[in-house]
Amino acid sequence: MAEPALALVQSSPSPARAQIAFDNVALTLGGKAIIDTISLEVAPGEILCVVGASGCGKTTALRLAAGLYEPTGGSVRFEGEPMRAPRREIAVVFQDYGKALLPWRSAAGNISLALETIGMPAQQREARITELLAKVGLAGHAAKYPTEMSGGMQQRLQIARCLAQDPKVLLMDEPFGALDAMTRQGLQDEMLALVASTGATVVFVTHDLEEAIYLGDRVVGLLPHPGRVGLELTVDLPRPRDQLATREHPEFLRLRRALFDFIKASE
Amino acid sequence: MRWSVIGWRLASFVVAAGLIALWQVAADQRLVSPVFLPGPDRAWASLMRGFTSGDLLAKLMGTLTHMAYGWLLASIGGVALGAMIGSSKAMRSYVAPTLELLRPLPVSAIIPVAIAALGLSQGMALFVIAFGSVWPMLLGTIHGFAAVEPRLYEVARVLHMSRLAVILKIALPSAAPDILAGMRLSLTVALILAVVCEMLAGLDGLGQWVLLSARAFRSADLFAGVMLLGLIGYVTALAMGAAESRLLRWQAARR
Repeated sequence: MAEPALALVQSSPSPARAQIAFDNVALTLGGKAIIDTISLEVAPGEILCVVGASGCGKTTALRLAAGLYEPTGGSVRFEGEPMRAPRREIAVVFQDYGKALLPWRSAAGNISLALETIGMPAQQREARITELLAKVGLAGHAAKYPTEMSGGMQQRLQIARCLAQDPKVLLMDEPFGALDAMTRQGLQDEMLALVASTGATVVFVTHDLEEAIYLGDRVVGLLPHPGRVGLELTVDLPRPRDQLATREHPEFLRLRRALFDFIKASE
Repeated sequence: MRWSVIGWRLASFVVAAGLIALWQVAADQRLVSPVFLPGPDRAWASLMRGFTSGDLLAKLMGTLTHMAYGWLLASIGGVALGAMIGSSKAMRSYVAPTLELLRPLPVSAIIPVAIAALGLSQGMALFVIAFGSVWPMLLGTIHGFAAVEPRLYEVARVLHMSRLAVILKIALPSAAPDILAGMRLSLTVALILAVVCEMLAGLDGLGQWVLLSARAFRSADLFAGVMLLGLIGYVTALAMGAAESRLLRWQAARR
């Protein structure tokens, strides 16, 4: 079931093995072409980061992958099957954690929502909740309401709720965009460790180019109006990544330059 | 902090006690004829007599029953109807004009219609109380359901929650502050209408007690009834407030 480790990631996945595949996907909303066209494949266990200037349709592409939008052209496939609606194997981490959490439920209650929905019997939930809270570094905060938590803690809670779905794919929409730099770096490393331990596939949308290189196995740059793929970079940096060593690596700097040039040219 | 709370409580008791003392003085000085204004001593004695030897307890229970049934019916109906209307944009646009037409209708104007249709019966009282007190609940629920954070519906879609689960676990708790505020407002309306119905239809209750006492110039009994009605209003509002702050603990955390 779970992919063992990120080390097994292939740089060029074969179509049959793709976890998520975009096949000439186009999306027109209200007569306006938002995406035209994207073809992409994400291999199981891969971390794919998506960057692009604002208005390039990064978030829209993620919503297509989640099944929250249906493409008006082409198809989105999950393990070879066309996607028509959201599926439980695919969890979405929204940027606005404050809106995505239930304010009337405690941390434990918010995780329980996912467990209730997948039909876990009540007597098993508590142990699983404790385990998930510990996993995201929120042990001992089970009874707190989201509003009593810092932004970083709330986002961790949302990630824990997504993990409660036992997802094969984590779709993350600028999850750390609203957090301060120190919290963001901490969460980046925690997320990498979590993903390595679960073997989940990740599609990570961000406007932070360095974050994309730091986290990703591959970075895709989208061009705006309408959204389409303009650049694809394979990130050949050793794992586990390190906030200092990785960011000083010559390859990191080379990729950074390439991405900055791409964004500048696309604007 | 605690001491200031105690201080305020004390002050409010002093004010109430002062008013009662003033009432006693006014009655003793016969500023108003004792036929119309009994002193608090006489009203209290009448209250005690009503409970020990009279049927005041039965009247009190009568009013409480009318109020509770009508209010509960309005709560269940209002929340159910409000949930239905509030969770669908189409329903909102179909039903909203009708509701706007019915809502400002004075309930007192409905009573003759209800009496013609249902007679001077408990059913009539139930209908009138429920009809009059349903509005705050209904409108609160509609508003609460319409104002649910859209992101939460997306979370529900991603989790594959059933329609029922979405209503019970997301929409209802999200609308709870609006619904509970409506329920608190309705409580007062239900009490008023219970008394009015008892007066008009001669149903067993404090409304009838007060009316008959007034007609017979038994002012002490009249005041005993009014005091009891005030007490009902006060106690039910307190209970509702306690239920509210318990159910909305999570909002206290926000502040």
